Amino acid sequence: MPISEYVGIVARSSTTSDVFNAIAEAHRREILDALMAGEKAVGAIVDDLSMSQPQVSKHLRVLSEVGLVSCRAEGRRRLYRLEPARLQPLHEWLAKYKQAWNDRLDRVDDYLKELQQKESSSDT
Amino acid sequence: MTPNRHGSAVIEFPSDLEIVITREFDAPIALVFDVFTKPEHVRKTFAPFGEEVTVCSIDLRVGGSYHIVMVTDDGTECSFRGTYLEIEPPTRTVQTWLFDGWPDAEAVESMELHETDGVTKLTHRLAFRDKAGRDHMTQFDGLEANFDNVEDYLGSLLEPQGTVSG
Repeated sequence: MPISEYVGIVARSSTTSDVFNAIAEAHRREILDALMAGEKAVGAIVDDLSMSQPQVSKHLRVLSEVGLVSCRAEGRRRLYRLEPARLQPLHEWLAKYKQAWNDRLDRVDDYLKELQQKESSSDT
Repeated sequence: MTPNRHGSAVIEFPSDLEIVITREFDAPIALVFDVFTKPEHVRKTFAPFGEEVTVCSIDLRVGGSYHIVMVTDDGTECSFRGTYLEIEPPTRTVQTWLFDGWPDAEAVESMELHETDGVTKLTHRLAFRDKAGRDHMTQFDGLEANFDNVEDYLGSLLEPQGTVSG
């Protein structure tokens, strides 16, 4: 595996850390959940979740900044929609990180078995 | 690769700067501790994809340091080093962690082992303490970071209409 991939696995890149931060907050995850069903106006999100309108607007601003939601105007209403593709890099990072750790720990597991077999065969 | 009856590692994110990995092994705690702390064992298991480990020095005492270098497929050396902060054989070590590929991000790494009925559970924690990350984290108020099952969560967001297998 080339060094660039190691760097990517060991530390998440700055581009994904924004997204990471955005979904680190429970209320923001609730808003993303609410948008999974489709496009919604701020008022509909406020109705769905027990949050105040200013609170929802504040979180939507953070989510918009990292591109996890997009917004369009329809008459006087602003409609928000989920942009799940922005989560892809984070998802990929996590999968690689998990893979690297599992491969290392699989080796430990095999190695422990090997050591224990040696031990038991030298006992007999 | 022999299948592990305890399944694959579980990854959790208890806070924005911490990554916790747990996994169980069918081996007594003393042996697992040795495999993670003695150079002759670490040399054989450190590299995730079986790369060559060219340097493996471990001075296992508080204040002692370790240095591990492995060479990747394209010939690049990856160097990991740090200093031991706490050592309690066979249950716990805490050490600083520096990866030369990302020199700004010093982390504190801890390994905890717990044995129940011959099964040893490893809890590996990496807590980044880079200021950039921390500053970034605190710019939002009311952060309640809890990434339990973050992988499932991401999966559900990425495939909202998809059927979840398994």
